[in-house]
Amino acid sequence: MIKFENVEKWFGSHQVLAGVSGEVNRGEVTVVLGPSGSGKSTLIRTITRLEPIQRGRIFVGDVDVASREVNINRLRQRIGFVFQAYNLFPHLTALGNITLGLERLRRIPRTEAKERGVRELARVGLADKADALPAKLSGGQRQRVAIARALALDPEIMLFDEPTSALDPEKVGGVLHVMKALAKSGMTMIVVTHEIGFAREVADTVWFMDGGKIAESGAPRIVLNTPEHPRLKRFLARGGDH
Amino acid sequence: MMFQILQDNWLLFLIGQYPHGPIGGLAMTLFMAVLGLSLSFPLAIVLALARLSPYRWLRLPATAIVHVVRGLPLIMFIFWVYFVAPLVIGRPVGGVETLVITLVIYEASYLSEIIRAGIQGLPKGQVEAAKALGLGYFPTTFRVVLPQALYNMLPSMVSQFVSTIKETSLGYVISANELTFAAAQVNNQLMTQPFEVYGLLALTYFALCFTLTSVARLLERRIAAERGSGLSIAAVPA
Repeated sequence: MIKFENVEKWFGSHQVLAGVSGEVNRGEVTVVLGPSGSGKSTLIRTITRLEPIQRGRIFVGDVDVASREVNINRLRQRIGFVFQAYNLFPHLTALGNITLGLERLRRIPRTEAKERGVRELARVGLADKADALPAKLSGGQRQRVAIARALALDPEIMLFDEPTSALDPEKVGGVLHVMKALAKSGMTMIVVTHEIGFAREVADTVWFMDGGKIAESGAPRIVLNTPEHPRLKRFLARGGDH
Repeated sequence: MMFQILQDNWLLFLIGQYPHGPIGGLAMTLFMAVLGLSLSFPLAIVLALARLSPYRWLRLPATAIVHVVRGLPLIMFIFWVYFVAPLVIGRPVGGVETLVITLVIYEASYLSEIIRAGIQGLPKGQVEAAKALGLGYFPTTFRVVLPQALYNMLPSMVSQFVSTIKETSLGYVISANELTFAAAQVNNQLMTQPFEVYGLLALTYFALCFTLTSVARLLERRIAAERGSGLSIAAVPA
């Protein structure tokens, strides 16, 4: 479903991705772990060309992401993206955040879009917050609205960029709960996170990134219980790097 | 003395010679400022977007226009429009029309800089979120970027309106029938009390502009408070 082939990326003279190869199959959950600066966020941002790459290839299905012929907006509509900082539109209500895409991209009439939006909010447990502006919501609620916003467009893939890192510890559970339910429903997901417990419980595959490469990968019970890479051992001993 | 002058001439100050002659005075001042600024608004948005465009053929001319206009005094534009426009369109152009046209050109440049600052001041995550959804340039600009940028820049726009009001007084030199022109008429009539007449003029401008700048300050505080409550969270890159 998603395939990286020797992906390289530089920020100026600093190489953030140093030849990443890997594949995510349909319906699988891949959790990307790694210390800060290991390139894990950059990696998932390349999938929808939020970050361009300089070398290598990325495929989503049979679409070559970097190709000039690709209608990037159409590709992005197939892939939901959840940001660490939520990035809700602050001038729109929770519902407005969701219906914007439905109206502008799916051309769904307003009343229908609103019904759909309320259903999506109910799915993340926030049906009663439809008319609230993001400023009136807690961090955890905002992130769940952001997830609902992405899900409303019926994506085939969901990408999560440290979705719980900006949250107070007691708010993390609600967001993880939504993500677990999503994984169970068969969604193809790549999750960049520090939540090792989430990886253990939900991931089909774990990628440990270090220095712009996938240093170790495999099933979570193997990678997390019997790590080989010394950096991964240290990483796990510290309980994840923040 | 001032009271006497005010009592005798308040209607002239307020609306000029209307209904016996053309409308003028404070009413005309406000009319020209409002019209000038509102007509310049769409132009300013276009200029700001062009200046931020990734395409050079849009960015360079827009940047040039803004720099040229901002680098020249308003009175020069007034003369240009006043003396050149009749040659171009083949008929005389009145003072009010001249001033409004000039203001549109002039304010568009200043407003565009305000709007550009508003756009650039938005957190990067906003455009990114719109992109990630798959929204194209126009829905991103008109549904996500501009509503926030324009709202955040409301205080600056009110300040610009204040500047515009003061700038309309230059209409005096081309006999645009506005507040300063009315004061001059009164002064010419009385001959002996320029201090009182122009003192009255100053007070009128000040009351109007001070009220508006106070509104701007109020807006600024309100918007800052809304932002402070977490409207925009700085993205923490991992």
